[in-house]
Amino acid sequence: MSNSHNSSPFTPERKTLDGETNRVASKSVYGGNLSAHFSKSASRTSHRDSPKSNIAKGVQTPRRALELGVSDFTLTGTGCKTPGSSRSRKGPLRQKSTKTTLSYGDRFIPNRGASSAIATVGSGKLDLGEKQRPKTSNGEHSSVLASAADEALAALGSLSLNDEEEPLTYSRPSPNTVAYQDSLASACGVSLNQRILAFKPAPPESSKPVDLRSQYNRPLKNANASSAQFRRRVATAPERVLDAPGLVDDYYLNLLDWSSGNQVAIGLERNVYVWSAESGTVSSLLETSPDTYVSSVKWSGDGAYVSVGLGTGEVQIWDVEEGTKLRSMHGHDTRVGVMGWNKHTLSTGARSGLVFNHDVRIAQHKTAELVSHTSEVCGLEWRADGAQLATGGNDNLVSIWDARSLAVPKFTKTNHKAAVKALSWCPWQPNVLATGGGSYDRHIHFWNTTTGARVNSIDTGSQVTSLRWSPHYREIVSTSGFPDNSISIWSYPTLVRNVEIPAHETRVLHSCLSPDGQMLATAAADESLKFWKVFEKKAGSASSASAAGTSGKADMVKQMTIR
Amino acid sequence: MSVEREKDKSKVHKLSLKGSSKLVAEFFQYSINTILFQRGVYPAEDFTAVKKYGLTMLVSSDDQVKAYIKKIMSQLDKWMIGGKISKLVVVITSKDTGEHVERWQFDVQIFNKSSSKKSSKKTVDKENATPSDSPEPPPEKTEAEIQSEIQSIFRQITASVTFLPQLDGDCTFNVLVYADADSEVPMEWGDSDAKEIKNGEKVQLRSFSTSNHKVDTLVSYRLAD
Repeated sequence: MSNSHNSSPFTPERKTLDGETNRVASKSVYGGNLSAHFSKSASRTSHRDSPKSNIAKGVQTPRRALELGVSDFTLTGTGCKTPGSSRSRKGPLRQKSTKTTLSYGDRFIPNRGASSAIATVGSGKLDLGEKQRPKTSNGEHSSVLASAADEALAALGSLSLNDEEEPLTYSRPSPNTVAYQDSLASACGVSLNQRILAFKPAPPESSKPVDLRSQYNRPLKNANASSAQFRRRVATAPERVLDAPGLVDDYYLNLLDWSSGNQVAIGLERNVYVWSAESGTVSSLLETSPDTYVSSVKWSGDGAYVSVGLGTGEVQIWDVEEGTKLRSMHGHDTRVGVMGWNKHTLSTGARSGLVFNHDVRIAQHKTAELVSHTSEVCGLEWRADGAQLATGGNDNLVSIWDARSLAVPKFTKTNHKAAVKALSWCPWQPNVLATGGGSYDRHIHFWNTTTGARVNSIDTGSQVTSLRWSPHYREIVSTSGFPDNSISIWSYPTLVRNVEIPAHETRVLHSCLSPDGQMLATAAADESLKFWKVFEKKAGSASSASAAGTSGKADMVKQMTIR
Repeated sequence: MSVEREKDKSKVHKLSLKGSSKLVAEFFQYSINTILFQRGVYPAEDFTAVKKYGLTMLVSSDDQVKAYIKKIMSQLDKWMIGGKISKLVVVITSKDTGEHVERWQFDVQIFNKSSSKKSSKKTVDKENATPSDSPEPPPEKTEAEIQSEIQSIFRQITASVTFLPQLDGDCTFNVLVYADADSEVPMEWGDSDAKEIKNGEKVQLRSFSTSNHKVDTLVSYRLAD
């Protein structure tokens, strides 16, 4: 109905045309005063004003005829009807003022469509009274006006059919309707040179029926109200920043670890340094031969030993207190990018995709060969109870192994679309594993490792480089590479991002939690090591929280301090 | 917008027409999302919380809904910048009866349309323009003031669930725009009636204004029978 009045199915619309003709007449009379007239007729009492002003001007016949029509109407009509009529006239009036040719049809018809009911109701009577007047008026006016009148007459032909019916359906509008029409009319003033446009494509279907009642009553765990209520404040500034010169910018390595004895080991090119969080002192533990580099470091559970993986595939065990190497374990032909301790068993993952288990106490150290990955293993994490092992590789696989049968993985998950380095076992729900994918994947998936089902997922929007569960809060922290280089803390299982800290200049490569679980250390390609108090315990809850820690490691350490 | 602002800072600190249009368009976007959430057009799980206007706003995280709103917004942005829009309406319609049950109307007034045109002309030959012939804009607001005005609108929209009647059954929504007749209209948009609520109750909510726009908010709804 946008473009031609011919195609309009609404007969009542045409009626406005005869009102139009009358307007045409009045327009010529009013001349420059026209706009004043408009504004008057827009007001509610307009029809009273206009005849008076007409009289004052002392006008010709068509004008008078119109006045008569109007005043007749005012006399006979009820109060309620008149506002409708004055309004219906106003429309065409404006119309004329914007355009004097006959193409006005397309302008107001859409609008009529909108207010069609009102137009019909309001003008039904009026039209009956004014029907003849166009005949008397059109002769004396310009051809444009005359043709407008002809058009109107043509319209009247069809209109008269309708006129019989309209008054029948016409009923006294309720006060409500009057108010409605009123507001509509005021809208009409603007909308004449306007179109109401709707966005035509249908909106997507709701994924499931919504019962608002339950929505309102629902404890808004992940919505604003309650999350604000329970949200803890997280310090977004680092507690401490250390330089980590020469940190290799390689996603596939694991060069940072924090021991249960509160010492941080970091591999920087060919060196391993140990920084004591208690005393703040740094010591160089070892330097490799010049033909290789440190590709991974990992503390044993008791915090006494560090295992060091090298680019050559060699794995060394160091006594940190003594500063001596205890043994070297060979077996891998390619660099060892990731390691994990489970009591006296050390698991090592290499670039070849192989994972070996070593019993560090015996000479024939290799106890198992875990074959699943076809590309570099970069993530490896034992469950705290040692019953399951999770590994992730550059082949985008996550393998979950049962410690009792290591021939084949219990589950192999192919959901990630990029390398999986970030792995973390949930401390309070032992069968939940979180895994994070690389830059092409950006997702964190949560798995039930008993059933193998994926229970949750988050699209983080950037490469996930590490994941650490909080031992005290129902939260997990992720570190990210390109493009965010940030630390994000997510509530679980609501998966709401509680905070995102822009942590480093470049991608965060490694992270580890302090033994008391409060502090997160991050190492990034910008060669800095930063400490963040992301899981700060509330005063008073410290003792109970550490007792609640599930790992034996967490139990034995007291509140840690950093100097 | 920050670029816009910096550019302006040298002259007067106010939002330019373009920045203001953007702000208004953005306001619409969040309004649509808020209405969809608050009125349960889509399930609450489909929404994620984001910080905006110093509030936590819920925006749809459903890809289809996001794409749908994005399509609307991209056209709206153009119209806004062209100053073609006088109203934006979100109509909630019952899927069962096809009846329009709720209608959120945002009236946009553009201040001194002419003067802004003049000022755009001025950039062409600003050497010739005398500073006196540009009428002073209404008292300027700081961004913080504008934000707090917007904030209170969203608070009101959120609070309106307390008086709006319960929406029964599945509902869907439509976006209408009252545009100037001479606007360019892409294929996806077509003429429509106003989708008014018959015998609807109306509640005027707060409004906000920038130096170039004023936006009034009005919700109308069907009275319970």
